[in-house]
Amino acid sequence: MEKTVIDAHNISKVYNPKMIPVYAVNNVHLHMRQGEFTALVGPSGSGKTTLLNLIGGLDKPDEGNIFINGRDITKLSAGKLIDFRLHNIGFVFQSFNLIPVLTARENAEFIMLLQGAKKKEREKRMNQLFKEIELEDKMNVRPVELSGGQQQRVAVARALASHPQFILADEPTANLDSVSAAHLLDLMQKLNKEENITFLFSTHDQRVIERARRVITLVDGRIATDTAVVPTNVIHPSVAT
Amino acid sequence: MAWRNIWRNKGRSILIILSVAIGLLAGIGVLALYKGMMKSRVKTVIYSEVSHLQIHNPAFKKEEHTAFVIPDGNSMLKAIQSLPEVKYATPRSITQGMLVTTTGSAGVQINGVEPELEDKVSQLKQKLIAGEGFHKNKKNEIIIGKKLADKMKLRLKGKLVLTFTDSADNLVSAAFRVAGIYRSGNAPLEELNLYMPITSLNELLLTGNSFHEIAVLLKNDNELEITQEKLTKAYPSLQIESWKQLSPETDLMVRTVDEYSYIIMIIILIALAFGILNTMLMSVLERTKEIGMMVALGTARARIFLLVLLETIFLTIAGTPIGLLAAYLVTSYFQKQGLDLSGMGKDMMASFGFETTIYPSFPWEKLVTVLVMVIGTSLLSSLLPAWRALRLRPVEALRR
Repeated sequence: MEKTVIDAHNISKVYNPKMIPVYAVNNVHLHMRQGEFTALVGPSGSGKTTLLNLIGGLDKPDEGNIFINGRDITKLSAGKLIDFRLHNIGFVFQSFNLIPVLTARENAEFIMLLQGAKKKEREKRMNQLFKEIELEDKMNVRPVELSGGQQQRVAVARALASHPQFILADEPTANLDSVSAAHLLDLMQKLNKEENITFLFSTHDQRVIERARRVITLVDGRIATDTAVVPTNVIHPSVAT
Repeated sequence: MAWRNIWRNKGRSILIILSVAIGLLAGIGVLALYKGMMKSRVKTVIYSEVSHLQIHNPAFKKEEHTAFVIPDGNSMLKAIQSLPEVKYATPRSITQGMLVTTTGSAGVQINGVEPELEDKVSQLKQKLIAGEGFHKNKKNEIIIGKKLADKMKLRLKGKLVLTFTDSADNLVSAAFRVAGIYRSGNAPLEELNLYMPITSLNELLLTGNSFHEIAVLLKNDNELEITQEKLTKAYPSLQIESWKQLSPETDLMVRTVDEYSYIIMIIILIALAFGILNTMLMSVLERTKEIGMMVALGTARARIFLLVLLETIFLTIAGTPIGLLAAYLVTSYFQKQGLDLSGMGKDMMASFGFETTIYPSFPWEKLVTVLVMVIGTSLLSSLLPAWRALRLRPVEALRR
């Protein structure tokens, strides 16, 4: 049995609590195990990004607790949370968000630098990752010289560089053409299968949903459905609908 | 990364670099100008007005009576002239009197001088703008200032009468001819002081070969305090004053102008600070999303703060050599050519004792202070943008 990576209990996030309260996330329970490849779907404003932000420690819930590898991140101070994210969570953003003044390789090794990894270690990891994302010949170019798909693959390499517990991806294919999106999904699936990396991504994209092994649908901040597409043993009984 | 960041918007970065350079140029320029003015003023005070040191009988300074000569002045003068640190020492007899011409009268200070020594000590001959000065075989010759000559409508070889009291309190009057007219660059002194040979004055004062003042010019300005102390010990009954005591207004001016120049420097730096603040704020606001992403990925806020600070420091460091070089070149040019400030008013400058042509001097001794002030200003002005970057919440920043 794979170990639990994410364990969220009764989490809620309310905007305008004193005026007209709007529940972006409303009493959500979510449980994920190592190696899951999960899509978070739902209409715009359903709370997908807010839920990802809460799980990623970018925002704090108003109610409930979130355990990552058994550690309650809602109890961490802002400074400790930054450090926690650095060592445990990989992020892939919709608009790539690469640093324009750094090369593809420098962008990917950015987190390893923050972690204080040695040059040899960084070099080894970068060679391995750029081979995996098939951009070995683009290591030393700046983001502006890369296509959207290539930039997003560099963003994935950046997220993976420090061997995080899991990767949160907010609409990773939203700004990509179909070929680039398919290429990216191939890459993420490959990493998931071969390296057992956990992925949780929010998406509207049917191509992404089709590849997911578990699909969680959010409506008005609540989990409406939680469906296992492939063997259900990856889904915690408490969150199965 | 900080270095690369500053080249994202080349135009903006060049603007900051130029602001720093111009700020430095202006700041150092002001300091150089003031230093040049003060050097020139002090030089005039020492080499043209009061010398490094003056020795008097204390009673003469107090009572202003010509009977109070320096006791055994001639042997003392010889002793002082033989001191290794002394370049020249000259005796002077001094009295206050009334100058009368057909057009009117004026209160004056009559200085009896040894012409040759006086030329060396106060450059009296070099200051002449009319006439040749004293002639050895002519008596009753006098040199007056341009300002006094204009006031009394006196010309070269013009006649005047001086009236004063001798050492026995008798009223003495004598007629003189103008043998020279001098210009000193210090209007008040020019209006007050006139010169005649010491032998002529002593005859009228009945002071024999005594005198009231020894003016001492040193070989080295830096030996002023030591020599003053040495002479005070050697001649405890006499009053030995340095130019700082004889011309306290100059000493005060040197000290206060130093402070004024810093105030002007601070005003320039405040303008620079606003420029940097504005530009760095813009730079941070433009990168809100990127900074939010960096924090989301796990970049410590202290690093973000440091990044903005470093960007400002790099811009400052890039602008500093340009500013220094420009300031050095401009200062060196005017140090050689002189900066003509006669447009500000010749009379106005002279009334404060300043020459109209100033030779700015690069303020090497203040360079470290100026650099610290410029870099400090840059750092201070980058604090707000850095703080703004620090306060960014990744969730909000990423939404933009």
